[in-house]
Amino acid sequence: MDELTTVFVTESREQLAAMEEALLQLEANPEDSDLINAVFRPAHTIKGGAGVIECNFIVAFTHVAENALDKLRNGDIKVSSDLVAVLLGCCDHIGNLLSVLEAGAAEPDEDLRAEGDSLLSRLQRDWLDAKEEAPAASVQPNRPPVEKVDDVQASGGGLVETDFWHISLRFGAGVLRNGMDPISFLRYLSTLGQIVHIETIPDAMPSAEEMDPEACYLGFEIKFKSDADKAAIEAVFDFVRDECTLHILPPNSKLADYIALLQALPENTMRLGEILVKIGALTQAELDDGLKQQHAVPPEEGGEEASPPPPLGEILIEQKVVQPELVEAAVIKQKQVSEKKAAEARLIRIQADKLDRLIDLVGELVIAGASTNLLASRAGLSDLNEATSLLNRLVEQIRDSALQLRMVQIGETFNRFQRVVRDVSKELGKDIELTIAGGETELDKSVVEKIGDPLMHLVRNAMDHGIESAEVRQAKGKSPRGRLSLNAYHDSGSIVIDVADDGGGLNRDKILKKAVEKGLVQAGVHLSDQEIANLIFEPGFSTVDKVSNLSGRGVGMDVVKRNIQGLRGRVEVHSEEGHGTRFSIRLPLTLAIIDGFLVGADRASYVIPLDMVVECLELQAHATSSGERNYLNLRGEVLPFIRLRDLFEIPGEPPKRENVVVVKAAGQKAGIVVDTLLGEFQTVIKPLGQLFRHLRGIGGSTILGSGDVALILDVQALAQIAIGREERSLAAPSSVNTPRISQV
Amino acid sequence: MGNLVPQAGSTPAKTGDESRQYLTFTLGGEIFALGILNIKEIIEYGSLTEIPMMPGFIRGVINLRGAVVPVIDLVARFGGTPAAIGRRTCIVIVEMVQMSEGSETRQDIGVVVDCVNEVLEIPATDIEPPPAFGAKIRADFILGMGKVAGKFVIILNVDRVLSLEEMTFLADLGGSTPAAEPSAA
Repeated sequence: MDELTTVFVTESREQLAAMEEALLQLEANPEDSDLINAVFRPAHTIKGGAGVIECNFIVAFTHVAENALDKLRNGDIKVSSDLVAVLLGCCDHIGNLLSVLEAGAAEPDEDLRAEGDSLLSRLQRDWLDAKEEAPAASVQPNRPPVEKVDDVQASGGGLVETDFWHISLRFGAGVLRNGMDPISFLRYLSTLGQIVHIETIPDAMPSAEEMDPEACYLGFEIKFKSDADKAAIEAVFDFVRDECTLHILPPNSKLADYIALLQALPENTMRLGEILVKIGALTQAELDDGLKQQHAVPPEEGGEEASPPPPLGEILIEQKVVQPELVEAAVIKQKQVSEKKAAEARLIRIQADKLDRLIDLVGELVIAGASTNLLASRAGLSDLNEATSLLNRLVEQIRDSALQLRMVQIGETFNRFQRVVRDVSKELGKDIELTIAGGETELDKSVVEKIGDPLMHLVRNAMDHGIESAEVRQAKGKSPRGRLSLNAYHDSGSIVIDVADDGGGLNRDKILKKAVEKGLVQAGVHLSDQEIANLIFEPGFSTVDKVSNLSGRGVGMDVVKRNIQGLRGRVEVHSEEGHGTRFSIRLPLTLAIIDGFLVGADRASYVIPLDMVVECLELQAHATSSGERNYLNLRGEVLPFIRLRDLFEIPGEPPKRENVVVVKAAGQKAGIVVDTLLGEFQTVIKPLGQLFRHLRGIGGSTILGSGDVALILDVQALAQIAIGREERSLAAPSSVNTPRISQV
Repeated sequence: MGNLVPQAGSTPAKTGDESRQYLTFTLGGEIFALGILNIKEIIEYGSLTEIPMMPGFIRGVINLRGAVVPVIDLVARFGGTPAAIGRRTCIVIVEMVQMSEGSETRQDIGVVVDCVNEVLEIPATDIEPPPAFGAKIRADFILGMGKVAGKFVIILNVDRVLSLEEMTFLADLGGSTPAAEPSAA
């Protein structure tokens, strides 16, 4: 696939997403003409782009869809939820067609084509043909809207009246370097016919100091008179085919082709009039006329300020010298040019692997910096120390900015669910409203990419199992409209994504019964609510008796859990029977580098993520309660703690002075008792590899300035291990009915 | 571990009479050999970080020029007590290629040895099949018995001895036995 196609596909997908979003909003506000335009524009752009890369099946399909949108815009047809549904279907279909193009196939396969045809025929039957009685302005489907002969005087009918070929030519920068001279092509071209007019387009030329004398920056718009056919003209440029952009319009081309050309022209500073003249849609005289009028609007009534001159486009239409269609396309082009310019200033497309490479290098830089720091402080030269600390600060900034590059807002992912919720609620016959909050929360791009699937499962589950049908809801005294909410926020160094519904909540007894049936738990065992809720994450677990289209097969929740664990995150479920369920996905902020707090136990060093550290204090004998109990008095609070030496079974006696690091994870405080506190440390996370896949309590490893490997503690998992051990050792001797000690 | 019985295919490389090169090393007083094709380098033993809650044969991890590499104690893997660290203790870095989910993954693994001896060329004709018993090492770990200067050297089957899959499984068992979680967690 060539570069042009790749760009087209990527941009079209973005356009489709915008179109879909606008359609969904349109359904809610059918009267909003801005929204209609917002739907129209992407469709139009995609069609134009497809024309440029000569992907006819996309052009053909988009064209009909665009016709419908056009009528919508003109107010000929009204927005209805049926129409939106069909148009959404069209969006999906265009997406599929793009995939076909991406796969390099020449034509979509039978099924896809049938699907497209059925969409088109629905559009045609219900919306396009239904209004056929509308007078002259009506648009013949399947044919470009070129029949408005009466509306246009100077420029003739739908076929733009030029007897000349129109050739748009943009040479690539490498043409000269490859030993080819643009002028020789033009000379050769003139052997086929007569170059009536040639316009040199120097817009790509940079300022003198940036100009590379070996590069070619020129483009040409050529009016060409010839009897040769298109292939022959194309053949002229065979040698530079790969290096130039070439558009050839035959004499008397259709308007649509001109529109496509307008869309395709890369120049962004051309004024509307110039564009139109250059592609020969209107003559210089017509343009001059228009321009004169634009500037000569007399400042009326002396002292009054001149009202801004009407845009050229309007004047031209008024004078009926250009078809409104054409002007509109040019206006859209102008608008896009300026919009694009603004967007380009803000966004640069970068290949993801380049960015990854940068992050890797920054990681190495951080490690190297740490070891330089260590050596400098050992050397004891104050100048050197100063220099390295400055260097370190810079490295830290570089690290933060580099990581920032990978951060994207989660809003885009969330917005996709508007569509999902709409479709699924229709399918289920439930009325469900989705509210989104915290869409501006940023997280690592790779996380965003991988969180889509688990979220999809959770959302579908909530809609299918969570939210009850309207009747049941009313019987329970709830509003018949179900509510589903997606929320994202930062919480102590991690990102939390909540998926909450106001449905029936988890049915404790049903889950327990099912779990006993499946042999996951022993009958008669007492389980806490949390433990029961966690059962739903077991593989193959489903309490639904009937398998629905969406969920209920019992694959899903365990996949959700696994996917999230794969991102070093965890998922929790809070449920209140009768009031709803909330799934909280807790994810690390980044996957690459974190601020850590370095502690020591025995000879080994461990890193605790700094965001979790609340404070550090010395473990004083009197603060801990008597003997073996693992809690202490933190300013009147009971603070349970974990002895790292005990947990990791580190041999040897602890030193006289031990320290407690107070950490806060998921809203709870706990202490970790270590030998020494070693201070803050920029931690480049190195995965431990497959061998340690099942290791819990250790989140990864990092390399210290000394070259040693330090382990990163997963505080929450450590707490769970501690809880697990304690429960077992306490619950083991006397069996079932021991009162459970709840801790942490 | 019934599914890990030796397979017929993994027995000696008696494909012809070409000879191959092997690195010999001492481990608990015995001499072993490994084919050199998998060996990337040999480094001095040092600055190893232990990983808690892991079975004994996983000694820990080291920093190999920026990559974190696990280190295996072969004696413990064979069922003995972990080797003591001496002056000549080395870590042999072996590259394992493993197919997982359709794609090839490469993982470096360090192996602690008491000392490395030499690189030997052992002709295929001088390699005997492993004895049915008596070697005190699981038979599938042995690729063959090489005859070197009238003595037998155990040539290890590196794919078996350092099988990531099996070791991960053991690590899971060994790691979670003391700290096993209720299945609900």
